[in-house]
Amino acid sequence: MSTNTEPDTDADDSDARERLLDLAADFYDQFAGGEVPSMRIPTRTKSNIEYDEDTEVWVYGDRHSTRSATTVTGAKKLLKAIYVIDFLAQQLDEDRSSTLRELYYLSESWDHETAQFSNQDESNQLIEDLEIVSDVTREDFHMRPEESGATLMGPLHLREQTRRGERAIHCQEDVGEGGYQIPNNPDTIEFLDHDADFILCVETGGMRDRLVENGFDEEHNTIVVHLKGQPARATRRITRRLHDELGLPVVVFTDGDPWSYRIFASVAYGSIKSAHLSEHLATPDARFIGIQPTDIVEYDLPTDPLSDSDVNALENELEDPRFQSSYWTEQIERQLDINKKAEQQALASRGLDFVTDTYLPTRLEAMDVL
Amino acid sequence: MTSYQSELGGGTNVAEELAESQRSISIAEFFEKNKHMLGFDSGARGLVTAVKEAVDNALDATEEAGILPDIYVEITEEGDYYRLVVEDNGPGITKEQLPKVFGKLLYGSRFHVREQKRGQQGIGISAAVLYSQLTSGKPAMITSRTEGDSAAQYFELIIDTDTNEPEISVDTTTTWERPHGTRIELEMEANMRARQQLHDYIKHTAVVNPHARIEFEEPRGRLKFERVTDQLPAETEEIRPHPHGIELGSLIKLLDETDSYSVSGFVQEEFTRVGQKTADSITSAFRDRHFGRELSWRPPERSQIEAAVTDAVANKSKAATATFAQRVGTSTTERDRVAHHELVDIVANAAEHVKEESGATFATTVRKKTVAAVWEAVAAGCESDLARLVDEATTSRKGEPTVGGMARRIATKLEGVERHRLTRDTVATHVDRAAEQTEERDDEPFGETARENVIDAAWSISRTVPDDPPSVRETAADRDTASELLEAMRETDILAPPTDCLAPITNELVEEGLRKEFDADFYAATTRDAEVHGGDPFIVEAGIAYGGDVASEGRIDVLRFANRVPLVYQRGACATSDVIQGINWRNYGLDQPGGSGMPNGSAVVMVHVASTNVPFTSESKDAIANVPEIEDEIELALRSAARDLKGYLKKRRTLEQRQRKRNVIADILPTMADKLADMTERESLAIEDSLARIMNNVLVERTVENDGVRLVVTNHTDRVAELALTDIVSVDPGEIEDATVVEMDGEWFVKWDPSVQSGERAAIEYDVNGNASFDITVDGIEPEKLSINA
Repeated sequence: MSTNTEPDTDADDSDARERLLDLAADFYDQFAGGEVPSMRIPTRTKSNIEYDEDTEVWVYGDRHSTRSATTVTGAKKLLKAIYVIDFLAQQLDEDRSSTLRELYYLSESWDHETAQFSNQDESNQLIEDLEIVSDVTREDFHMRPEESGATLMGPLHLREQTRRGERAIHCQEDVGEGGYQIPNNPDTIEFLDHDADFILCVETGGMRDRLVENGFDEEHNTIVVHLKGQPARATRRITRRLHDELGLPVVVFTDGDPWSYRIFASVAYGSIKSAHLSEHLATPDARFIGIQPTDIVEYDLPTDPLSDSDVNALENELEDPRFQSSYWTEQIERQLDINKKAEQQALASRGLDFVTDTYLPTRLEAMDVL
Repeated sequence: MTSYQSELGGGTNVAEELAESQRSISIAEFFEKNKHMLGFDSGARGLVTAVKEAVDNALDATEEAGILPDIYVEITEEGDYYRLVVEDNGPGITKEQLPKVFGKLLYGSRFHVREQKRGQQGIGISAAVLYSQLTSGKPAMITSRTEGDSAAQYFELIIDTDTNEPEISVDTTTTWERPHGTRIELEMEANMRARQQLHDYIKHTAVVNPHARIEFEEPRGRLKFERVTDQLPAETEEIRPHPHGIELGSLIKLLDETDSYSVSGFVQEEFTRVGQKTADSITSAFRDRHFGRELSWRPPERSQIEAAVTDAVANKSKAATATFAQRVGTSTTERDRVAHHELVDIVANAAEHVKEESGATFATTVRKKTVAAVWEAVAAGCESDLARLVDEATTSRKGEPTVGGMARRIATKLEGVERHRLTRDTVATHVDRAAEQTEERDDEPFGETARENVIDAAWSISRTVPDDPPSVRETAADRDTASELLEAMRETDILAPPTDCLAPITNELVEEGLRKEFDADFYAATTRDAEVHGGDPFIVEAGIAYGGDVASEGRIDVLRFANRVPLVYQRGACATSDVIQGINWRNYGLDQPGGSGMPNGSAVVMVHVASTNVPFTSESKDAIANVPEIEDEIELALRSAARDLKGYLKKRRTLEQRQRKRNVIADILPTMADKLADMTERESLAIEDSLARIMNNVLVERTVENDGVRLVVTNHTDRVAELALTDIVSVDPGEIEDATVVEMDGEWFVKWDPSVQSGERAAIEYDVNGNASFDITVDGIEPEKLSINA
């Protein structure tokens, strides 16, 4: 049950099912040996992630916690895990899929009341636990997140395997204003052709719409990926694949506040919650465009003062291993210094075209992307 | 702390007044006037008091004779009256003793005895006899049989209310089934409104007298308390009174009765903890109070003394007079200070000296004149001496006029004092007066502290006089003198009294008593070491019964006892209640709304105070007075028992948690096992071992294979498990290594007492032929920590 081996993303359904049943067999053997059933999982906290030199992403460190039936809570968690394993094995067997939320509600139907989840965080977390101990991703368990995936727009031609057959789609010509909807499992996509020079990940819907309206994707041959706040796995996965498979540089454009820096960090370095999949989801080469604290000063953007929680978050980031670069330390300290934050759309204070005509081109040139 | 009641207990005021000054009024009248304080203020109360007196009496009588008490109490309705019968199995009573025990009001011998006795609690059974006689007009009917007598004696006794003399009106023999004992039958005006108190009294008596068997019958109920121990309370030593614990009346009585002549001999003879040295201290203090002390002054110039002597002496040879004067002068000025009696000695010595040297006689008259003359000279200097004293004793801020004024005024007051002999009180009076005058006339403040300091300074120059203290007879004859002796005794430091005069119930028997009357889950008891209040030693004991059948609604039950007698009235006024309410019982796991006051919950708390003189708040002796020493001990005793309770409750909570965990785990694990077997398509799992391991339990497992039986104990706890297993087998298992086999009625008891270290296992094996059934029991471990799969 190690966690640092390469996730086998190509594991087919029966393979995933096999691994789940292996887990059950482990528990069975523990019982049979008169031992207390238990499950070892890496501690999923900020302090237990470390930079992996080889893969250039942040992964879990050595610290583990043990879920054991010696305590009442431990026993309850294990019981739930066993029920979920049973459910997933069955789901794979029948080639069905379900959402995380459905799993939560489905547990209501389980005969043993203790096995039922008390909230969705609990069931989500358990799925992540099982991903880690079984080395199978959630997508391969046929578990989907609830919200629809984010969108992308740009000169990209791809083929998606849907339940209703294969579809070839051009992400500018075949889609509406809304763009191409990224499926839950982007590994069902095959990239056919592209005309892009780089990938621009945008945090907010408003900014993404502005870029599309101003034709930024066409003008600069950009694939605009809408992150929709903290990006879903599928969004991060497709970004990574676009970068890896098409060799395109990735830049991230967010608000200028601590929460947005975390969005960038999860794109570039991987998130703490899913560090076991960092290698799979993170794009270490991704770079941050802005809004940078220095931009706030330089363009004299309309700002809000930092709230207490903002300051707290910034200070936490100073200790976050993912932000231990001179660039980030400088930016964060700068922001604490000016005590201000700004949204992407604050650029509109200089006119609606300012972002596409001036700000982005200037930044991209400075970053040697254009 | 010395309540009116303890004066009664001391046998002084009330008794004396009754015996002497009040002879003129009838005993009935006295009783009528004082019945509230004797515990007979209502019919309901009267019955409780009568039962209490009679039962206390019966218990004392049997215990004194070394007999385990067997007491029968019966209350029946007799027309308008109630009839009370109390029987004991004591040694019985002779005709001669009869009037003493049942007759004379307040003449019980116990009032003067320093011994822990129940009888001290009340005024004795005689009051009940009188009450019954006054309300029903019937005599007390007493049946008695002494051991070995062929027949029992039957007496009827009435008290002559004019003379307070008991009279035996009927004296016959009768038959009685008890081989020895006493039965008293009283008829009285009463009612059963205090039924609850009566029941409480009887029940609580049983609690603190686990060695007694008590039966109680009343028109609507019947209580029976069996004996739980054959151990009689330790015999108590009677001790002489302690000088700090005696009252004036008792002292006068002792003075009247003693054979000693001197006070020194008297205190050594009649009191505990008084030897020669202490007697000397007492005598000296007595003298100071009786005679006062003499103030001593710095002597004047020698020439002045000699001149005074020469003036005083007439008709003596010039040479002899000169020698005499010189001698007196030298001896006086050799001293720093001189008091009048010292001057008397100096003059006498000088006279003797001159007589030896020159043969000249200075007889009494001359000596007296000389003393007077020299004393005048000495006393004349007292004002300046006093000025120095006042100056030293007060702060430097007091100006010369104030100091001088004080000294002058005190000196003026001393003018009228013969030999400057006065008690400290008189000194204080003079100093106070002088200070007031100084404040009034000189308008100079002279406060309390300054006055105290001056009094102390003056007292420090006073000398104890050599006069013989009053003899015992003189002291006894004068109340004031006796009072001075009493003060002297109280003032003197004396060792605390010995404590072997007390018989605590002991913590084992307190627990036993509670166990007998309350079906609780937990009992704790503490007996403290003896302590002293006033001159009386005392011991406090406390007990707690918790849980089980003890009522859990509302406040806890409090049982109060003094010298093994339950206190049923005035709970709120009792020191015991105050102490209980002052303790934070939440600390000890009991519910206490607001964090103070009487706690709630299913607990019984008992407190026993044993003393040669239990101080009560009032005449009716229902509540223990708030004596700090006793309160402290009550608190310590309660806290000690409460700590045990806390430990028990904590352990119980842990075991409950353990049980809850076991319940949850025992629910989850089998489901898990079934599900896993199902998913992996393997055979179903046995999970006892895992369960025992999770619960850190001791697991006892049996496997039977081909008639071979194997019993395995696995210890998953973190301690050594010392178990006692009994396996009842339906067929003969033969001999077993490490175990013993006993056959009883066709069943074989396999007894195995393994000691298993933490994490280890132990096993026995035996063979049975064919079908056998097993029945295993495991002792030596809490059931919560045991898993049996056998």
